[in-house]
Amino acid sequence: MNLRNRRLIPSFQRPPSRVLIRRVADYQRDLEVLIGESIMEFRLTIQGKTVLLKPNLVGLDPLGVMNTHPAVISAARTSFLRLGAARVLIGDGPAMDRDTHAILESVRLREFTGKLGADFCDLNLDDVERVILETRASKLKELYLPKTVLGADLLVSMPKLKTHHWAGVTLSLKNMFGIVPGSCYGWPKNILHWAGIDRSILDINAAARPDFAIVDGILGMEGNGPIQGTPKAAGVLLFSDDPVAADATACRIMGLLPEKVAYLARAGTMLGHLDPRKIQQLGETVESVRTPFAVLPEFRRLVEEAVE
Amino acid sequence: MDAGLCAEKCADVLQEKQNSDGGWGYHEETPSRVEPTCWAVSALTAAGECGKRSGAITNARHYLLANQKKEGFWTASPEMKTGNWVTSLVCAVLSQQAGTESPTLAAMEWLCGDYPLDSSPLLRFLRSFSKAKDISQHENTYRGWGWTPRTSSWVEPTAFALLAMQEFDQKRLPSVAARRQKSAVGLLYDRRCPDGGWNCGNPRVYGVAGEALVLPTAWALISLRNLPNHESKSLSLAWLEKQMPKIQSPGSLAVAGMCLETYGKESTQLKSRLHDYDVETLLEDGIHVLAWVCLAMSPGRRWPARIEGRHEPS
Repeated sequence: MNLRNRRLIPSFQRPPSRVLIRRVADYQRDLEVLIGESIMEFRLTIQGKTVLLKPNLVGLDPLGVMNTHPAVISAARTSFLRLGAARVLIGDGPAMDRDTHAILESVRLREFTGKLGADFCDLNLDDVERVILETRASKLKELYLPKTVLGADLLVSMPKLKTHHWAGVTLSLKNMFGIVPGSCYGWPKNILHWAGIDRSILDINAAARPDFAIVDGILGMEGNGPIQGTPKAAGVLLFSDDPVAADATACRIMGLLPEKVAYLARAGTMLGHLDPRKIQQLGETVESVRTPFAVLPEFRRLVEEAVE
Repeated sequence: MDAGLCAEKCADVLQEKQNSDGGWGYHEETPSRVEPTCWAVSALTAAGECGKRSGAITNARHYLLANQKKEGFWTASPEMKTGNWVTSLVCAVLSQQAGTESPTLAAMEWLCGDYPLDSSPLLRFLRSFSKAKDISQHENTYRGWGWTPRTSSWVEPTAFALLAMQEFDQKRLPSVAARRQKSAVGLLYDRRCPDGGWNCGNPRVYGVAGEALVLPTAWALISLRNLPNHESKSLSLAWLEKQMPKIQSPGSLAVAGMCLETYGKESTQLKSRLHDYDVETLLEDGIHVLAWVCLAMSPGRRWPARIEGRHEPS
């Protein structure tokens, strides 16, 4: 591991992380107030900054079960603007379907946010810049990444709480696959699969580590996610200043062992905290909101000790 | 409403947005990239009025030729070093223009030598011992093309490679081309979703049927247009026709419309629906979407070709 990258800090040198769990029954609540208050708990430096919200927009989703819900995205956008952000962009690069317009229509994002214009960035088509991958977790030596991502002052990963048929779970870290531009690497971004999904997740997050995470677990997905799984209500929103801690906590809520998710185990050594003793838990406790998620048989090892 | 007038308007805007280097970016005032340049130059060619457009078309051709790498391929972004699927697109577009024989031959030779790794004999052998073989149960002896070299075959890059070969002078095609075309067609038929249409190339994962998507379906059908009738084509055409009223985005609508027209299925509502979009919305979606709409609305469109066959280079 090359530690010259400022984002790579061994866990023993990293200050404790914070994760806030809020219980939210549905998307009808006043999410703007709830999300605004939750972000304020972290005392982030937002004034005058350019914030990029990176939701998980994975495909056409008229039923609203696979993508980050537009009410959450819109409320986060409003909150960051109210907290003084100079600009809040929303950006994603869907992996399977290059018609991002159709995906946005199907999730009704503009109904919640109003006209976005240049404040929405299709990361698949953004201008790119070469980034050397200093972690070398995978065999990829470099990636061309969107300038909008690299230029953001505050990068916010906004995944949906889901299990994943290749990676085990898809949360704040796996969500960052969406910053890899399809115009360079295709739909899907198959080069990442060949380099190893788990290892690619580490390289991408080391190159563009999210500064903050908001996990939409109000309605998640279990089983054969990220697209063909079964909707599963967990009734929570998670907030964290550490994407690894956010994902570890999300796993524990789903009744899964984060230490057994291959990429999370390694992320816990260089990108954030996996160890609950290094995570300051705010709001609800994990136990009070625990909602076991079903996984494919290939991932039974993730739940063995937690549930059985 | 005059459809030609709208295509002309799109072409005028495209021409206005051309960068000084002759190319176009995905969005206005962004650095030129190969893919949007290919679609823009195709749209300007289709929009007609040769005199008015010839300077822009010539400059675009210079941009494309200047960005070909010595190995014969093109890269998605000029600063990249590895060739990818856009090589097929440029090869198809330049093959329609006179005086491009040498660069297109180099591109075609690169394409014919670019084999996806997933279908290599060694990996197929290794896969036969792996649990992975049960996850997506498609036939992996077929070899198409990937988005990037030495990865896996996918529907859209395979369709674009077939389109490039169809536009290329048949007498100059490398000897291996016929075998590669046959295998690529086999791959497309094998990867069709059970209910018709194609997605990126996973018709079934963990036993669950994949859902087709408009763009891969349209490109696959266009690339198969000159082949004999096949169940995959008829099922997929029916799927696409059924989707037309539901399509909300101009890009998918334009490409699906061109595809159906290619099969002689004119959509009476297509041009009026496209006419309802304003140029600003199309530009937000990208230069390539504006170009697709321009192509779909151009009465003089020759490429992507209609079913009656390819035209001769001008």
